Amino acid sequence: MENVIPENDQLDWVIIHGRGVLNTGHAGTFARTLATAGVLSGRESYYYMRYDDSPERDNIPMIFYTVIGNPKINITLHEEVEPLGEIFSAIVVMEPTIMVSQTSQRALLFDGAKKDAVLVVNTSLSTEEVTGLVKKRCLAQEWHGKLVTLRARKYDANIAFPLLAALTKAWDRVALEDMLDALDSLGYSNKTDMFRRVYSDVEPIEVHINAQEATMARTRKAEQCIAPVKKITDMKVYRTYQEAAAKASSYAERMKMMPSWQQLPAGLIEFGPLPNKKNVGFTTSFARFLRPTINKKKCSDCKMCSLNCPDGAIDYNRVEVDLNYCKGCGICARTCPSKAIEMMSELLAAEGLSEEEVTTIEDALVEYGY
Amino acid sequence: MSASKKASKSVMKTLPKKFMWTGTRAIAEAVKLADVDVIAAYPIRPYTGVMNSLAKMLADGEFTAEIIGADSEHSQFEIAKHASAVGARTFVGSSGVGLAYASEPIIVTALGQLPVVAMAGCRSLDDPGNFGMEWNDVLGFRDHGWLMAWAKDAQEALDMTLVAYKVSENQKVLLPSFVAVDGAAITHISVAVEPPTKDGVARFLPPYKPIHPLDPIYGPVTKAQHIAPSLIGPELRRVIDQAMKNASGVIEEAWETYADIIGREYPAFLEQDHTGDAEIVLVTMGAYAKDAMYAAAKLREQGIKVGVVRIRYFRPFPKKELSKAVAKAKAVGVLDFSYSFGSADDSSVLFNEVRSALYDSVSKPLLMDFMFVGGREPAIEHFERSVKLLKKSIEKGKTEKLVWWPTLRGEDA
Repeated sequence: MENVIPENDQLDWVIIHGRGVLNTGHAGTFARTLATAGVLSGRESYYYMRYDDSPERDNIPMIFYTVIGNPKINITLHEEVEPLGEIFSAIVVMEPTIMVSQTSQRALLFDGAKKDAVLVVNTSLSTEEVTGLVKKRCLAQEWHGKLVTLRARKYDANIAFPLLAALTKAWDRVALEDMLDALDSLGYSNKTDMFRRVYSDVEPIEVHINAQEATMARTRKAEQCIAPVKKITDMKVYRTYQEAAAKASSYAERMKMMPSWQQLPAGLIEFGPLPNKKNVGFTTSFARFLRPTINKKKCSDCKMCSLNCPDGAIDYNRVEVDLNYCKGCGICARTCPSKAIEMMSELLAAEGLSEEEVTTIEDALVEYGY
Repeated sequence: MSASKKASKSVMKTLPKKFMWTGTRAIAEAVKLADVDVIAAYPIRPYTGVMNSLAKMLADGEFTAEIIGADSEHSQFEIAKHASAVGARTFVGSSGVGLAYASEPIIVTALGQLPVVAMAGCRSLDDPGNFGMEWNDVLGFRDHGWLMAWAKDAQEALDMTLVAYKVSENQKVLLPSFVAVDGAAITHISVAVEPPTKDGVARFLPPYKPIHPLDPIYGPVTKAQHIAPSLIGPELRRVIDQAMKNASGVIEEAWETYADIIGREYPAFLEQDHTGDAEIVLVTMGAYAKDAMYAAAKLREQGIKVGVVRIRYFRPFPKKELSKAVAKAKAVGVLDFSYSFGSADDSSVLFNEVRSALYDSVSKPLLMDFMFVGGREPAIEHFERSVKLLKKSIEKGKTEKLVWWPTLRGEDA
């Protein structure tokens, strides 16, 4: 199912990644302001959050979309747009650990993005570090676009506005005047000066990642990902589907791994994992952006962390965190009597990248959106 | 200034009086403009947005009403029913299994002829966690005396809610109304919406004056009394039947009045797009009609004569209007987001309704059912393919396969 909206060249479709509650309000402001700028420039526009994500849940990866359309065509209303082909012309990341978190539904940051998409990241990382991450994690299959990184909180507690200014600078599809008018008409006139300052401060860079660089990783994934065909009769067969789905690198690929109706067992059945096996089809780590790291020298093996973990993600016999299920809530760190557990940024723990741009819950409550 | 006030400031520059609102927010504005007295609330997605917006408006002092948070959907619809019986203008709403759980008060509300207006955010009946859009939750009440209106977008949802009060409270009708909006596609997408003025709405919709409120000041009455079926059973049903029959004329009148006073015009029962010379007509309801019209426009460029009919009222069902709209069509395809397992030809609810309505038609077009069920969103491509299948049927002079599941993996895709 490729390019079912052939006119999507005429749409300016922006995807905004953030985390539930932490970024929901700001992402809403971002999407609304951008859509308003679209309306002010005389084009039919709308914005929405990805409904299935349930962004009222703390820290889960959530998505807002703004669509600015050509008034000559009728905009369609698609929820799950990633499988539809190359659609997004700009990607905004409000919380940088999103780039390394595994989600069950979409793994690639550039899933559904155009090859010349603009990427705006709220981070203390440099553009080189972000580019390196995109390459290493194979987040984009091919990319020849602009990248801006900025520490949005330095400019405003509501990170939506600095990020909008950065997008306006890097992306030629929306005019600065329309953005300023949108701020005015939504009652954010006091943000104008800051907006102009960010606009002059940020310097978008050109990034080129060609298909070859990504091909290896991509081929490897494609080989692993083979759709099962057997009728689901027991948990062994069911597990083959789970494993295939867990390997999918995009939403479209995951859709292909799902069983057809003839293969489904009667009565909404999901078979549990085999004894002593993990449920690979339903990992729950995507809400984590801080990772508990256990200092074995300080650890007295008292098992408090294991007993207190609400997800059973810490093994009792060998005190170790199962990163497929840890949601990063930090209860283990708080209940550890030896203070042997430290909550570390996912980017630092997974990639050795020192990331200081962390939105706090206090910032998040500046404005509750949606 | 509070966040919500900031957000609701109008987009003044080129489009005065327009706001970026979700469908749920737009409906909440309609409730505010209608100066509703009692709101009963219980959260369930996608309905929740209405109740959130209303609670915020009330907290910000934008209007006054009694908002009652219920302990369940059953109590929620009971509250609305009783408040309406006492004489209040009421608003309520729910989605999916919430409506199913409230089915007892929902049914009694209609039989008691209480003009409650309920927003229904269409949602799949629960495979747990299925937030997809299906019509079966609302259509479950198609036989019980509720008027059912289906909106196309947030703007129409707002207008439809106001008109719903006008129609429901008409003394020739006095039946409750569902304003059905497609979950996610309308409820959760923010678009530019232009609300009517407060003065305009005040002229269009004067305060509700019940004839026999359940209030001793107006003389003692009993509502929803215990009845002896052998003495009065069929007579009571016939009263509802007549009210529903009266509704057709009242609906038409109400939309005309709305256009006169508010200035926005809608066809009462059917929105017709290029049906005049169409060989093929797609019939549907709700938000995806927009996509269907877009698909049809593309196909017309290729020389295929295709039109779209969007049904705006499922109850009362516009039989006459529909027959007329498809009189020249050789084939009619129903784009249906419902199912009716085990029904004739194992088809779906809207399809059964359309087929039954066209049974008496002179032209007897070929019929095909396209079921978009389970909540997976259709794409333009699916609608285009549906038209091509209809075209093939016309060429062959018969329908070889009646029911299609275009979004199903494998088989019909």
